[in-house]
Amino acid sequence: MSDARLRTPFPERAHAALEDAHLQEALGIATTKFIGLRRESFAGFPEGEALRDRARAIKEGTLQQLDRHLERLADSIERLGGHVHWAATGEEARDIVLRLCRDKGVRMAVKSKSMATEEIELNDALEAAGVKPVETDLGEYIIQLAHEKPSHIIAPAIHKTKGQVADLFSKELGGRFEADPEVLTAVARKELRQKFLDADMGITGANFAVAETGTIVLVTNEGNGRMVTSLPRIHVAVMGMEKVIPTMTDLMVFLAILARSATGQKLSSYTTLVRGPRQPGETEGPEELHLILMDNGRTRQIAGTLREALYCLRCGACLNVCPVYRQIGGHAYGHTYPGPIGILLTAMLKGAASVKDLAHASSLCGACKDVCPVRIDIPRMLVDLREQLDREKIAPWPERMVFRLARRIMTSPALFRLGASLGRVAQRPFVRNGRVRGLPLFFGKWTRTRDLPPVASRTFSERWKDLERP
Amino acid sequence: MTSRAEFLRSVRREMAETRGLFDAPPVPRPADAGQAAEVVRRQMLERWPQALERFREEFERVTGVFHRVANMDEVPGVIGRIAGDRQAKSVLSWHPEALGLDLRASLGAEGLSVTVAPEGDPDGATRAMHRDAAARAEIGVTGVDWALSETGTLVLVSGRGRPRSTSLLPATHVAVFGRDRLVESLEQMGLMLEALHADPALSMSGAVINFITGPSRTADIELTLTRGVHGPKEVHAIFVDAR
Repeated sequence: MSDARLRTPFPERAHAALEDAHLQEALGIATTKFIGLRRESFAGFPEGEALRDRARAIKEGTLQQLDRHLERLADSIERLGGHVHWAATGEEARDIVLRLCRDKGVRMAVKSKSMATEEIELNDALEAAGVKPVETDLGEYIIQLAHEKPSHIIAPAIHKTKGQVADLFSKELGGRFEADPEVLTAVARKELRQKFLDADMGITGANFAVAETGTIVLVTNEGNGRMVTSLPRIHVAVMGMEKVIPTMTDLMVFLAILARSATGQKLSSYTTLVRGPRQPGETEGPEELHLILMDNGRTRQIAGTLREALYCLRCGACLNVCPVYRQIGGHAYGHTYPGPIGILLTAMLKGAASVKDLAHASSLCGACKDVCPVRIDIPRMLVDLREQLDREKIAPWPERMVFRLARRIMTSPALFRLGASLGRVAQRPFVRNGRVRGLPLFFGKWTRTRDLPPVASRTFSERWKDLERP
Repeated sequence: MTSRAEFLRSVRREMAETRGLFDAPPVPRPADAGQAAEVVRRQMLERWPQALERFREEFERVTGVFHRVANMDEVPGVIGRIAGDRQAKSVLSWHPEALGLDLRASLGAEGLSVTVAPEGDPDGATRAMHRDAAARAEIGVTGVDWALSETGTLVLVSGRGRPRSTSLLPATHVAVFGRDRLVESLEQMGLMLEALHADPALSMSGAVINFITGPSRTADIELTLTRGVHGPKEVHAIFVDAR
């Protein structure tokens, strides 16, 4: 499905989003609300800033000893009776899940929200293999029924109205349901409760995995993460390997800032620490636990320009504040991970060429960096990415020419002076009220939505010369 | 299929290429987790009244319902009233040993059907039976391992006689605890968990630790906050003074 979407070029996808009045309204309300909740939450939490620094240092420190922490995690999980699988690619991760389904006779799998399984498009693969995947996060359930993709990392169905959800439920589940969130939630509760009880396998991602104790950590508000790790006989967790953290002490640092950054809660309703399958004496829990540690392009970035993107907690805070995301929403990005961090994660997973348009879908305002709980320098990496696209000749040639020319001019005082004089003449027909508005040819694309300051009648260096003479 | 050795080899190859972005020493942690946890426990002997007040405030902020009783004998009465108000007929409870209270006689007399979790090492048939009962029950009664006041959170460790679903499947969850369960901060909670894992007798006791902060909730439809999407719609905490 994402491939079909990608056949439309990004500017067209963005335009379609801009013309969707409903989407514009929903995005405005949702992102503004999330921004407010986050801000309020951190305002009453003075220690938050120091905790963010600590969290950032834990992520960096973990990467510096990643091999040891991964080994420790695997040993701990196995000691608890779980199984660990190593997947170099997304395809391999998918195959491991499919093989488990085949070997264990799995017909239905309930899933709790997981970006990692979205990343590898696991649902399509399961369906093709005759296993019914059921998304159980309410937002994900809605978009699964509608055959769509998530539009926000933590609020996957923000683009849908309650009326649309009511119609969807009425059509797919049989019945006539009122367009009331309370009613619709109750419908989903009943429908999904039975699925939890009937499913053979529970599939989750992992927000964190604690190496020392072998603990897989799931953060949810609905409790579906608890359901899928308690009721089915097999639990499979698919995790990007960068989610490993060293200790329980470290986990507390992240818990203190994760929910605040995402939804403004002090903690989400449920933080579930899973250590192994059902232990002796326990009444419930899966007989088997499988952890799939997935690389899928991540390792390449340990020494790469996108290293910092490996710190990401997937809280979604950078989406809400991004002036581009706020206008176009998640779908227009066209990939699993939307928003500013999504551009970097897409480049990580699919290569720089996959984001040659998206790398420019940022004003580099830095709002994302300000709210990131682990202070990921997203703007810097976007600039690096643009530079790489130029260096590797992935960017279109006119763009590369323009920048090459600009560099040539700006690094030579003589050319710069000449350029200024020429510009002063050339701009004359286009200056109105002291601004350059409406340039001709393809330059007009720039001035359609923006003004430019004109070249001054006397440049700074010319005036400086006057000042030098006493 | 990629082997562990191959996977780690490629990680190490990349690690060798870089020293990282900045110096990042590990977060300091106590040399002896058990001792550090003991220090917290001793502090709480004095500080519990403030911690309880804070817990109540935060717990109510996340729409928890707080009750306080003098001793364990009063607990069944509170649960009976909660059941009565909701016209609930079935109660599911941790095993009396784990809860510190046997609800069967007291609540049975009020006409409620009470199922308690199996003890010991339940066989497959017992587990299946309990699961059916849990799926039908309207009220789930559990103990609490830690009550975290900073966030109004109930922390429950699963294990023998303490099924994880008691606080999940019924529409109403009632948790019972005393002053010795209170901790103040996530940082202290970290010490408690470090100590739990450092103690070999405890570290294998149960597979799941749940931090429960209010009822199950969602805002996935038009950001309208709705409770009880999968788990409980209501969470009650009964604080017992003499426990």
